[in-house]
Amino acid sequence: MGTFIQLVVDGLSTGSIYAALALAIVLVNQATGLINFAQGGMAVLSAYLAWWFLGTGVPLILAIIISMVLSFVIGAAIERGLMRRFEGGEPDTAVVATIGLLTLITGFCGLIWSYNNHQMPSLFPLDTVNVAGAALSVRSIGTIVAIVAIMLLLQLLLMGTKFGLALRAVSINPQSAALSGLPVGRLLMAGWGIAAALGAVAGALVAPSLTLTPGMMDNALVYALAAVILGGLSSPLGVVVAAWIIGVLENLAAVYVGFIGHDLKIAVPFILIFVVLVVRPQGLFGRKSVVRV
Amino acid sequence: MSNTTRKTNTGAIAIANAEGITKRPWFTPVVIAVVAVVILALPLMLPELANQTLARVVVFAVAVLGLNVVMGYTGQVSLGQIFFLGLGAYVTAYGEEQGWHIVITFLLSMIIPGLVGLLIALPAARLGGLAIAMVTIALPIIGLPLAKRMGDFTGGSQGISASFGQAPDWTGLYKDQWQLYVVLIIGAAAFLLTRNLVRGKYGRAFAIVKGNENVAKSMGISPYNYKVLAFTVASIIGGLSGFLYMFVVEYTSPETMAFHHSITLLAAMVIGGAGSIVGSVIGGAYYVFVPQLTNAINPNATALLQGIILLVVLFVLPGGVVTLPRLIKRLTRRRGGGSRPGAPGAAPPPAVPTGPEGAAGLAKPTASTPSSSSTTASSDEGGASTRPPSDGTTPER
Repeated sequence: MGTFIQLVVDGLSTGSIYAALALAIVLVNQATGLINFAQGGMAVLSAYLAWWFLGTGVPLILAIIISMVLSFVIGAAIERGLMRRFEGGEPDTAVVATIGLLTLITGFCGLIWSYNNHQMPSLFPLDTVNVAGAALSVRSIGTIVAIVAIMLLLQLLLMGTKFGLALRAVSINPQSAALSGLPVGRLLMAGWGIAAALGAVAGALVAPSLTLTPGMMDNALVYALAAVILGGLSSPLGVVVAAWIIGVLENLAAVYVGFIGHDLKIAVPFILIFVVLVVRPQGLFGRKSVVRV
Repeated sequence: MSNTTRKTNTGAIAIANAEGITKRPWFTPVVIAVVAVVILALPLMLPELANQTLARVVVFAVAVLGLNVVMGYTGQVSLGQIFFLGLGAYVTAYGEEQGWHIVITFLLSMIIPGLVGLLIALPAARLGGLAIAMVTIALPIIGLPLAKRMGDFTGGSQGISASFGQAPDWTGLYKDQWQLYVVLIIGAAAFLLTRNLVRGKYGRAFAIVKGNENVAKSMGISPYNYKVLAFTVASIIGGLSGFLYMFVVEYTSPETMAFHHSITLLAAMVIGGAGSIVGSVIGGAYYVFVPQLTNAINPNATALLQGIILLVVLFVLPGGVVTLPRLIKRLTRRRGGGSRPGAPGAAPPPAVPTGPEGAAGLAKPTASTPSSSSTTASSDEGGASTRPPSDGTTPER
């Protein structure tokens, strides 16, 4: 029983990291209708920035905040300088552009900071607390709490503020939004900036357990995309719940299902997607969109 | 949304125009003759290393061709093509190890990836938009540990090698020459079959699905069925490229289907030219040569340079390198006219194209209202309310 609880809490914790990345993907998608495959790469860059500031003697929490602010600027700059060229065009081209961006950012991190592993300290102490016979790490619990807070903030931002309303309006119909006087360009930049800052949180949370490498987010990106498919693109809450389900299920499968084990547990969200797509094509929480010809 | 579809269709017009040029009566026979002579002569004259490199170009050109079927022609982003190459290579290696007849191995190297592709496409194509991209990105990432795990078939991390490219005695050829000839013949057959597929009935259906799924539905074309079909065909061609890969490289390991290879393959397709047969060949050349080049400049900067190349091509030549002649032509014709490089909606070429696709390219504006045709031809901004003119005319092609 103790092992089970521990697996569930650890699963929720890793699921929370995927959730942060997935929320960033949902945010960009809600604003631009595009899936940003570079989101993982941008999170890696943010983690490297935090690590680099840490090396200059800045305290960890401050380093992470600085990297979040910088990531916001970088995200907005990428939207303005690069992605705006492709927005409103063929979605294929825009997606390929984000894939090019992923390659570029990964390559940039590799060139500047080398492809070797770096150790990033954790934001949370390495202590454990004992709950019902399970030794739960403070890191796991802290990660979960952090993500819940961010999710609530984001939900509030998107659903409860004028800014969120404007963002959603831009995503639904950029032309109408522009005609009603919304600054579409600035909103898109803000959407990308917030998404990048969210990715920075994911990067800071994931780097300690994975060690910092340019490709560390590749797997997390797959999990995040799986969470996005399962949760439905329109629901931040659904995406987080889906990411948690994935995190818990893969942790349980890795231990209790012999064939899967630790190296193949990335197949779990994939299998889950297949089951869900067959049963419920619009995702667990997504609304079915009705299209008129 | 209508903005999106309109741009897609002007892109289609541009592609149709490019193919119009190649459809001039003298063009095809001359090209075929020249290419045939060069291809027959080259393997005999080139040094061994050049032959091996060329053979690898053909291998990856076939892989890019498969990706083009699903992505260039049907508009479904796939990040998993390298998985099917790896699968085909493993099937080939296993068949050789078991001593199966080469024809059976050859067929299985296409059938098994085709079936796997079908199984993946059946659920993935149910979700619209970018779901196939989001699902297929997992293929290389799962494929790598899976290949390590299934060591009985794959040789685990060490990989598996098989050598069956020796030239038969009657040919009197060296191994590298024989390999290149075989790869060229099989590759040419694959290109010819695919060309016929994408120019025929199914290709037109693919184009309509790519252009506007709702229009396709209203015409009785099931986007779902055609997406599944395109993905399956792409998997089969991917498996074939895996067979050729094994024939030429003679060794495969889980590393063959690593994630970054998948991205490079996609970049190769886009840089060569999406939705273009010639672009697939250029893509194959990109896949083989550019990493070598960037490695030579600075091995640590390889990924960075590749990302920059991809983004620059998307900026300047959204249609890929294959559209470079058209861009040069347009720039020289409209010098100082403030033309935007890469803006879709290229003016029709001066000569009247004789081929069916060129004719379709010309027919599109006339079939629509005058206002919408002028928007299509002159700018890529605004004009969101105009119907995509080609949707109505595409079936007439």
